Amino acid sequence: MSELLRRARAILWKDLLTELRTKQGLSAMLSFAALVIFLFSFAIGPNTTLLARLAGGLIWVAIIFTGTLSLGRAFQTEELAGGVRLLRLYPGDPRAIYLGKLGANLVLLAALEAVLFPAAAVIFQVDLVAHIGPIALVAVLGTIGFSAIGTFFSALTVHAKARELLLPLLLFPALVPVVVGAVGATDAIIGGNAMGRLGGWLQLLAAYDVILFVVCVWIFPVILEE
Amino acid sequence: MSAPAIRVEGLTRRFGRRWALRGVDLEIERGSVVALLGANGTGKTTLLRILSTLLRPTAGEASVLGLDLASDADAIRRRTALMTPTGHVYDELTGVENLRFAARMGEVTASDDDLRAALARVDLADAADLAVRGYSTGMRKRLELARLGLRAPDVVLLDEPFTSLDSTGVDLVQDAIAAWRAAGATVVIASHRTAETGRHADRTVRLARGVIDEAASAP
Repeated sequence: MSELLRRARAILWKDLLTELRTKQGLSAMLSFAALVIFLFSFAIGPNTTLLARLAGGLIWVAIIFTGTLSLGRAFQTEELAGGVRLLRLYPGDPRAIYLGKLGANLVLLAALEAVLFPAAAVIFQVDLVAHIGPIALVAVLGTIGFSAIGTFFSALTVHAKARELLLPLLLFPALVPVVVGAVGATDAIIGGNAMGRLGGWLQLLAAYDVILFVVCVWIFPVILEE
Repeated sequence: MSAPAIRVEGLTRRFGRRWALRGVDLEIERGSVVALLGANGTGKTTLLRILSTLLRPTAGEASVLGLDLASDADAIRRRTALMTPTGHVYDELTGVENLRFAARMGEVTASDDDLRAALARVDLADAADLAVRGYSTGMRKRLELARLGLRAPDVVLLDEPFTSLDSTGVDLVQDAIAAWRAAGATVVIASHRTAETGRHADRTVRLARGVIDEAASAP
């Protein structure tokens, strides 16, 4: 394993261990996601046809809102330990910091989605079990894009005074292609549409994931400079 | 002849409208222990942060072990160690887990026994498996000392190492400084506490308002 990946794994291990010890992030995320899903279902009312038709969008909006809370915390734990720039004092490629944080965010979001998708299927009365494979693929692609840009902006805003406001302000516009692709793909799966349409959404998601990942990894060292 | 451990020429750093350093010139020989003294806000921390590559100077040049700060930052990081006043430890991890993380990040091969031995050297053997959240300020400082001791740096930069320490803690820091000196490392101790800082120092440099006060410095 390369030095870069070994150091990224050390950060991933440290962040997940911290999360397991505090359980603050995951429990807050799950509670918030449940609230968002219930609020949507109450707002739309008992119209099950409409709920099923909107399910894709509602699920992804819940993931984005909830995940943003988690992303905002990714670098705040470093500030409590003296500052993210102190991590920069360790020798080697600083991209390991980004990769480690990205890995931890992916694991936390996967845990959230493992609970959120089944809960949403029950509340919105849509059959996701029959399409578990394609749904999992969309979830993976959507989550990678969301985490890639979210981890980057989390690092960028960690020293900002109004970071809780600044993070979604920067993040949400950049997420438009991810949301459009993920919602389109989820709707195509739930609506039983032909593979042709689903394939297009998956290609959009995959292409945007690659672009986001490469750009964020490339310019991440710059934002650690003081 | 080898380059000095630290060479600084016309070093300037500005934060907004405030000048932290205003044209500092300094040369420190290899293997020496230097006390960097001065009241709060005189630029000691800024100078150490620049020398450790955490901060970029606004103007001027600096090299550590003959390596240029701007172009050889990674090589400098491999050979220097910085102790900050607050330390770099994680509250939710135990003492031994903090050292394990530091060892992995610093590319230090250390077994669990090595890490526990490092904690024992700073009187933290009994607290090795306790979360740092429950450590006192002095214990955190000792953990930071153990973290720095994992590697064998050529240049050690200590920022207020005696703050919040009891007499035992002060002795541990003094012992660590003596050990680094014996190993041939260059040690720079920034502090406003003259008595403890001067004990091992070969030379005293006093900063005042971002410049070196030559009259108050001693060779």
